[in-house]
Amino acid sequence: MTLAAGIGYVLLALGPSLTLFVTVISTKPFLILTLLSSTLVWLISLIVLSGVWRVFLPLKTTAWWPYAILILTSIAFQEGLRLVLWRGYKKLEDMLDAFADRVAKPRLYLTDKMQIALAGGLGHGLAHAVFFCLSLLTPSFGPATFYVDKCSYAPFFLISAIISLAFVTIHTFSMVIAFNGYAEGNKTDQMVVPFFHLMAGTLTLVNLVSGGCIVGIPLLYVVALSTLAYCGNMVWRRFTETQIRLTPQNQS
Amino acid sequence: MDGSILESIGVEIIGVMSPVSICMLLVVLIVYSLTSFSSSSGEPIRTAANLVYLETPTDSTSEKIEGSLLNALVFVILIAAVTFLLVLLYYYNFTNFLKNYMRFSAFFVLGVMGGSIFISIIRQFSIPIDAITCLILLFNFTVVGVLSIFAEGIPIPILLRQVYMVLLGIIVAAWFTNLPEWTTWTLLVALALYDLVAVLAPGGPLKILVELASSRDDELPALVYEARPTVSRNPRGSGFGLLVGGVSSESVEVEMTRHNPSDSRNGGDSDETMEETSPLVPSLRDRMRSSSSGSSEFSSIDRIHQTGTDIIEDEEVDLSPLGAILGMGGDESRRGREIIDEEETSRGIKLGLGDFVFYSVLVGRAAMYDLMTVYACYLAIISGLGCTLILLSVFRQALPALPISIALGIMFYFLTRLLMEPFVVGTSTNLMMF
Repeated sequence: MTLAAGIGYVLLALGPSLTLFVTVISTKPFLILTLLSSTLVWLISLIVLSGVWRVFLPLKTTAWWPYAILILTSIAFQEGLRLVLWRGYKKLEDMLDAFADRVAKPRLYLTDKMQIALAGGLGHGLAHAVFFCLSLLTPSFGPATFYVDKCSYAPFFLISAIISLAFVTIHTFSMVIAFNGYAEGNKTDQMVVPFFHLMAGTLTLVNLVSGGCIVGIPLLYVVALSTLAYCGNMVWRRFTETQIRLTPQNQS
Repeated sequence: MDGSILESIGVEIIGVMSPVSICMLLVVLIVYSLTSFSSSSGEPIRTAANLVYLETPTDSTSEKIEGSLLNALVFVILIAAVTFLLVLLYYYNFTNFLKNYMRFSAFFVLGVMGGSIFISIIRQFSIPIDAITCLILLFNFTVVGVLSIFAEGIPIPILLRQVYMVLLGIIVAAWFTNLPEWTTWTLLVALALYDLVAVLAPGGPLKILVELASSRDDELPALVYEARPTVSRNPRGSGFGLLVGGVSSESVEVEMTRHNPSDSRNGGDSDETMEETSPLVPSLRDRMRSSSSGSSEFSSIDRIHQTGTDIIEDEEVDLSPLGAILGMGGDESRRGREIIDEEETSRGIKLGLGDFVFYSVLVGRAAMYDLMTVYACYLAIISGLGCTLILLSVFRQALPALPISIALGIMFYFLTRLLMEPFVVGTSTNLMMF
């Protein structure tokens, strides 16, 4: 029974990303490599962050501000990392294009670029889910469950799986938004990503209040869904734009 | 979207990475489900890997370090000796002896070690099965395994061969995880260093062996995972499709020449082979690493003890030019040239079984601590493997696959355990994430 519950938690947190992985990523080896390397980058960022914070942990106080600082620094660091990733991706794109020319194949399509961004984002999201949710799930396969005092409405594992799902969504699609924003030089797209990330991070601070997760988690899902909607909207816009641009060329 | 290059790049790398991942995953599962078994087995087993020093939990840290260092040293010396013996035998053309020996070791590993793992699995999950059925199944499993690993003249699907290679790796690695903790770490480090020396140093045994094999145009007398069919599975237009043709024809010819290695250069057929392979030979990045031996040394019988030694002994990575192209960091100008080479001949990437084993040992050892360290180590090892493959494309020469991966793996293990765990557990038990 607990085994079933544990598998259920895993699927709850990772189900959508698993679907994405099987349908989009796994058919193209290069995307798998992108995903793995982006997962590694996220892991390294987490290790660096925890190395910095190791001195101050575990926090003895019940005050909320140390946690706020922790989350703010982490988000700032990761958003900085996204810029570095973008630089790397730019170089990679040039290399891929050069290689495509060499083997007389078409250059990267717009969808290819978006898929690379998606794979990168999914890597971040997966790493997040793996380290913040899955790695704590081991005890849930055992004969008991665990409740947190501050949110005693559901088992801790269930709550962390639900939160992870929101974060996987945010990480995955904000990478698509960000890369597209950088490519187009679109300031709104560039700014909206840190904004979403920051919103989501600060919303988890609500969980520190006793019973706060009742409010915090739905709000978190609002952020996640709006990221998704924004991303969908943006991709749709790009596609219609390119089609309009392509159609006259085809006719002439 | 059909012609997109995303689909053709990295096929080979994934072809190597996915079996390694499967191997690690299964070892982790075995370790998880059998932890009660290994702890209940009571007294520590004396093996080649801990000949000198038996670790007990009560020993002080310095004693443990000293003892495990000695263990690792003895183990590496043993491996080096056996490898030299192997090279010597190969040099004097005892190929048949080597092959039969390898068959016997494969039989032994699959039958005895695999059998004992199966029994413990059966016991753990209380699977209802009678002894006779179990024995017959095990015997069939073993015989098919031995035949498929060294199939000469029998057309055995390469998929089966790959499956058995991975199984061998899993079985040996699962045994290795029974070693005490400190010994495991020092052993891994020592093997990585040994690997580095044996493959790259001018007189290194594996280097000699690889050079010998490529000069004889023979296959290495070793247990090696070949990633060939992954290429043929994806025969999209492009150079890769052509390459597939080259690969398969060459492999057939190699097989043919292998039957009479001494005359191989006389027949017309084999002349062709020589010509065909010639562009490849200089770039043959075969590499052999012998590493593990002790694997099966868990048995106390001396004879078995020696046989076990060679089982995994030979590991080799032979990176075809294809791998080189795929390496993204590779030199651009070289890429174009390589494609042309490739259309003539190429082999798939080969990865020694020992790499499988020791990657999995590392991950299995990490699994005894926590899932978090497992993920970190997995990522580190896979990225190390990726780095090695990219380096292969740059250096175009046989390279050891252990050092980078093991170094990264151990580093990430301790970083995760010491730094990351308190951080992640601290934040996420407060339901805070970012």
